[in-house]
Amino acid sequence: MDTDGTDLIHAIFKLVWNRKSIERERNEGTDNLDSEVGAGTSKKNRSTTANANALKMSSELLRLFVAEAVQRAATISDAEGASKIEATHLERILPQLLLDF
Amino acid sequence: MDERDYSDFEREEEDESTSNVLKDRFRLSVIKIAEAEGKKNNMEVSEQVMGCISDLAFKFSEQLAKDLELFAQHAGRKSVNMDDVILSAHRNEHLASSLRLYSSELKGKEPQPEKKRKKTSKKEGKTPSAALHIS
Repeated sequence: MDTDGTDLIHAIFKLVWNRKSIERERNEGTDNLDSEVGAGTSKKNRSTTANANALKMSSELLRLFVAEAVQRAATISDAEGASKIEATHLERILPQLLLDF
Repeated sequence: MDERDYSDFEREEEDESTSNVLKDRFRLSVIKIAEAEGKKNNMEVSEQVMGCISDLAFKFSEQLAKDLELFAQHAGRKSVNMDDVILSAHRNEHLASSLRLYSSELKGKEPQPEKKRKKTSKKEGKTPSAALHIS
């Protein structure tokens, strides 16, 4: 992902974190044992932030994920003599891909 | 009570619409990357596969966001830093080490906080070799 990817990643992260902080707010007071983020950890329910380099790294991680998916699928479809990556090729590499990330 | 439910409902709807916008933008980025990667291997990528990969990557990024939040909070921080990202890849040594390399690269650049377009092109030229083969 390039530079505009970083903004995008930031937007996605913010969305998830805001969603979570709203959830936390709602559960405040009630004993919520299923929430992983303990109620005691934050008195202020300010949602998490990320620094610029961490976002760059996250977008690099996602770029690697996509690149890896395509490359592995390409290997399979190459072995089958196809010139286009089809869903069946992706299916073959999916389990290991998900384990690797 | 009713009022609260209503505002919740509204908020959820808004949440959903921003999430859809983000998903579309994300898909565009994924298509760009996947096409570049496909070209390198002389492969076309079918529409269906593009859709699958971008959905996968989107789910992955949501999961990543949750992980990073937990890691940062476990360390008593409110802000996610580079170590958290490296930690999120700890299951895969190759991945972790290539991220570590990338992080030291970023650290080296730190003196100049202004990120320039030039650097991106430089990065893109370099990263192909960083792609991992771990199958």
